[in-house]
This record gives sequence, C-alpha cells and structure tokens, in this order.
Amino acid sequence: MTTGRDDAAVFTRIFDRHRHAVHAYFIGRVSDPELARDLVQETFLRVWRRLSEVGPLPDGQQRAWIFTVARNLAIDSYRTGAARQAAEDALRHQATTRETTVAGPHAQAELGERLARLEAAIGQLPEDQRVALSMTTAGGMTSRQIGEALGEPAGTVRYRLSQARKQLAAALDLEEDGA
Amino acid sequence: MTGTAGHHLDQLLAVWAQTHRLTDADAERIRQTIVPEDLALPATWWSDFNSKVSEVIARATAMPAPAVAAWT
Repeated sequence: MTTGRDDAAVFTRIFDRHRHAVHAYFIGRVSDPELARDLVQETFLRVWRRLSEVGPLPDGQQRAWIFTVARNLAIDSYRTGAARQAAEDALRHQATTRETTVAGPHAQAELGERLARLEAAIGQLPEDQRVALSMTTAGGMTSRQIGEALGEPAGTVRYRLSQARKQLAAALDLEEDGA
Repeated sequence: MTGTAGHHLDQLLAVWAQTHRLTDADAERIRQTIVPEDLALPATWWSDFNSKVSEVIARATAMPAPAVAAWT
C-alpha cells in the first residue's frame, strides 16, 4: 500500500535525478531562465499527476517519458509564441547586458567579456546544437543519454556537439590564438 | 581546434553551465509547489477510515452472542 508520503518520496527521487537535465533542455530550447523554470515545473507537475505510471519505470524509460512531456511542452510553448518571444528577448538582453553585469577586477571583466561572447555565440547556434550543448554542459548528460531522451542516435548528438564546439571556438577566436 | 583551445572552451562552457544551472533553491521551490507540504495523510486514508467506521458500526449493531443464544 502506498501513502502520500511514499508518493512524495518517489517523486522527489525522480525530480532530483532528472531536474538538471530537464532544465538544461529547456535552457537550450527557450533561453529565457524564467520560462525554463516554469516549463520544468509544468513537466514535473505532469510526472506527479502520473506518478503511479512513471514511478515504476526503469531509468531509461522514465527519462524518455519525461522528455516526451518536455518536448511537447516546448512545442506548445512555441505555438503560443511565448517561448519564441522570451528566447529573443533573453538573447537580446544577454547580449547587451552581460558585460555590464560583470564588474570588478580586470580578470573578472575579461571573463565577463568572454562569457558575453560565448552567450551570443550559443544564441547563434542552430536549436538542435544548442539543446545538445546545454544538456551536456548544464545537464551533465552523455551523448547516449541525450539520444535516449530525445529519441535520436547518440552519433547524431555527438555530431551536433562537435559542430557546436567548432562554431563556438571560431566565434571566440580559439582556433587561431589558442587562448 | 587545438588541445589548448578545446581546454579553454571547456572552461568557459563550465562557467556558462554554472550560471545556467537550476539552483537548489529554485529546485526546492518547484518541488514544494508540486508536492503539497501538508501531504501528511496517506492516499488511502479515507478508504481506511471508512472501513474502520463500517467495522465499528457493524460491531456495535451486531446482536451479542448471549442474545443470539437466547433467541435461538
């Protein structure tokens, strides 16, 4: 017999296991942190409502279930225009304000400047590359895990990551000066 | 991309990832919004409660054994 407390414990385990990956996915899709948090909440609210179905699934299937919900929410969000507008606003805001928000010693300013360029370069990546990059860096996922979550071959994910890194390196002049 | 360049890109991406990660505070806020704090009652509390009430009523209204013996 399960209890409300048992349900909460099962949910918390699922939430803790997948929250960073799901959040990283939405960061890649919508760029706007606030909207990404809202979509994370909506995704896990659906997990909570279907806990008896999701809870017993093995890890890989659980991840696939959660990301199916996440993908649908991202699509719905784009349909309403909210995500697209938020992404454009966020990218514009980040490009114009990142440098001014990082102040202090010279090294920090330099790092801030590089991060601003990185942010802008990530914003210029095709969405599928941006999502893969975000899920691997912010979500800490492997190419195989990303592939499982998004229903794509791991090789495709690896290719996207490789392309993304090349574009970022070029945008940051890392190929030429090695710095 | 050179090895050094790749290393620098990794470092920058690590900082970028850090600034974009869901913070523990935000995660907890989301979790608490979804899972109500007053979730103290088990999901089966009402059905258990009803069963016990029915049992008590059945026992209270049952005819005592001596009465049954006298009756028959």
